[in-house]
Amino acid sequence: MRGINGKYIVKRFISALFTLWIALTVNFLLPRVMGGNPADYLASQSAMGSLEYAEIIKQQFGLDKSIPEQYLIYLKELLHGNLGISFTTFPVPVVKIITQAMPWTLLIVLISTIISFAIAWLLGTLAALKKGSFFDTATVGVSFYIQSTPYFWIGMLIVMGLGYYAGWFPMGHAIPPGIDINAIPWFQKVIFIGYHAFLPILSLAIVNLAGRMIMMRSNVLQVLSEDYITLAQAKGLRRSRILSKYALRNALLPSFTGFMLSMGQAVSGAIATEMIFSYPGIGLTIMNAILSQDYPVIQGCFAIIAVSVVTMNFIADLIYPLIDPRVSLT
Amino acid sequence: MIIVMQLRKNSQSRVKSDNYLVFEKYILKNTKAKIGLGIISFFVIVAIFAPIIAPYDPHEINFIPWEKPSLKNILGVNSYGQDIFSQTVHGTRVTISVGILAGLFTSFIGVFVGLLAGYKGGRTGEVLMRIVDVFLVIPNLAIMIVLAAFLPSMGIFNLIIIIGAFSWLWMARSIRSQTLSEARKEYVEAAKVQGMGTIEIMFKEILPNIFPVITANMVMVVTSAMLTEASLSFLGIGDPSLISWGQMLSIAFANSAIIYNAWYWMLPPGLCIATLGYSFMLIGNSFLDIYANDRGGSVEI
Repeated sequence: MRGINGKYIVKRFISALFTLWIALTVNFLLPRVMGGNPADYLASQSAMGSLEYAEIIKQQFGLDKSIPEQYLIYLKELLHGNLGISFTTFPVPVVKIITQAMPWTLLIVLISTIISFAIAWLLGTLAALKKGSFFDTATVGVSFYIQSTPYFWIGMLIVMGLGYYAGWFPMGHAIPPGIDINAIPWFQKVIFIGYHAFLPILSLAIVNLAGRMIMMRSNVLQVLSEDYITLAQAKGLRRSRILSKYALRNALLPSFTGFMLSMGQAVSGAIATEMIFSYPGIGLTIMNAILSQDYPVIQGCFAIIAVSVVTMNFIADLIYPLIDPRVSLT
Repeated sequence: MIIVMQLRKNSQSRVKSDNYLVFEKYILKNTKAKIGLGIISFFVIVAIFAPIIAPYDPHEINFIPWEKPSLKNILGVNSYGQDIFSQTVHGTRVTISVGILAGLFTSFIGVFVGLLAGYKGGRTGEVLMRIVDVFLVIPNLAIMIVLAAFLPSMGIFNLIIIIGAFSWLWMARSIRSQTLSEARKEYVEAAKVQGMGTIEIMFKEILPNIFPVITANMVMVVTSAMLTEASLSFLGIGDPSLISWGQMLSIAFANSAIIYNAWYWMLPPGLCIATLGYSFMLIGNSFLDIYANDRGGSVEI
């Protein structure tokens, strides 16, 4: 194994920083390019007739300054972890709103990603090994069909079936309304949270399962057609040994990067699911912010999503050459 | 395909029959593509004749809200007193046109960037692919939501532009990797010797050879454009005056169709999107399989 050298890490790091910079610049420019003069707009939108409040907002964003100056201030504040102050819940800092929402999103995204990957590995491998069988055709067909359904629709059907009709699970929220989560013993907390998170996790897992299963199946098929598998067969190795020692290991490797990448993308993918389950994560926060035109919160959420996606990508870049020496370090 | 191309160069008179050969291989002898085309034609016919097929005006409010399916209203009535079947029929128009127009727009950018980056290579290719990689990392849906939130209004035109502008990245990558391997083949060399220009070689020589890959990409982009339209509508940032399948689902959810037990309102739009999207995917996948078989291996997409 070649491992990774310093040059590779620095290169990847610079590329990650560059991507992040582009994303944050887009985030800065969007409201300024689109809505005419953002200063007046933001101030009049949220000042509600109060001159004093309008002044605070203008100062907070430095909206009286020129665009390049505003840009420098924006980057400086971001570096200090300051995302501004929410309009609708003035004067709560955006950072506080996001740090309250983030754990919920991470919880459902993380668990659903792990579950869907585990099942996808299993189903994809089985389908590839029995290529052409009824099981293979059926799972691939169903997966493609699920891939073409809107993912929020699956969520709606699950709420309706398991939440409303069967009544097995709560139809929304992360904890029962009216209960102080800090006042109850920890095991009850875990039960409450798990009970409420079940349906969101299930719907995210089903949707993600389809695409990953198809990917895993084609990975296995690809590896099975490689020369070293033919060689192993020619050497007379047992099928189970060929599979465990050569084929499956190499088929699993590429999907590790997929795992890291989809973790990042899943945060934005969870938006509609959180809306359906009124689950208080980043997605619900961003949607509520759009409804109430709370621009600092919208931008803050986007910045957080961008940072998490870029970080996941960077980690994937670092891990990949470690687990798969065939990848070129460029 | 290569043989077909060489034949074409040898004798212009055989052009028609060559095209027919390709058509036969990809469509006539391809059951999956035929099924897909059948489903798509069905929906296109529904879209064209929507006013004739739909028994009522989809906007008209003239029934008792939450009426269950009956002979009068095949799919029941929504919370406003509108006929759901008529809405589903008319929704076909918006969803298909957004899907196809955004798909075409996406393909236009994707094919151009992919061909250019793959054939030109060098600095141009490097820079283009760097840009693609950067934007692939930034989550598309989030950026579209933020963009839509700051746009003053969200008509069908803006919707198509926004979806198209952020969906061409994967396509450009896939076209580029195909172009890279095509650019090394003899027929490109021959074209160069003949003194053809870059643009001419890109579009007249390479493009016809990778046409199956382009079509496969295009139909998948159409599916994803329809899904994106549905997602944006569901998140409340589509055009509320349009009746699309996503918009129907959005209104159904917002008006608590779940606790009114209105499955007849939520099932049809979702099933329609899924079935139409699936038929596009069928075509795309079968094209890729045939193309890959021709080249004796798998094709990365």
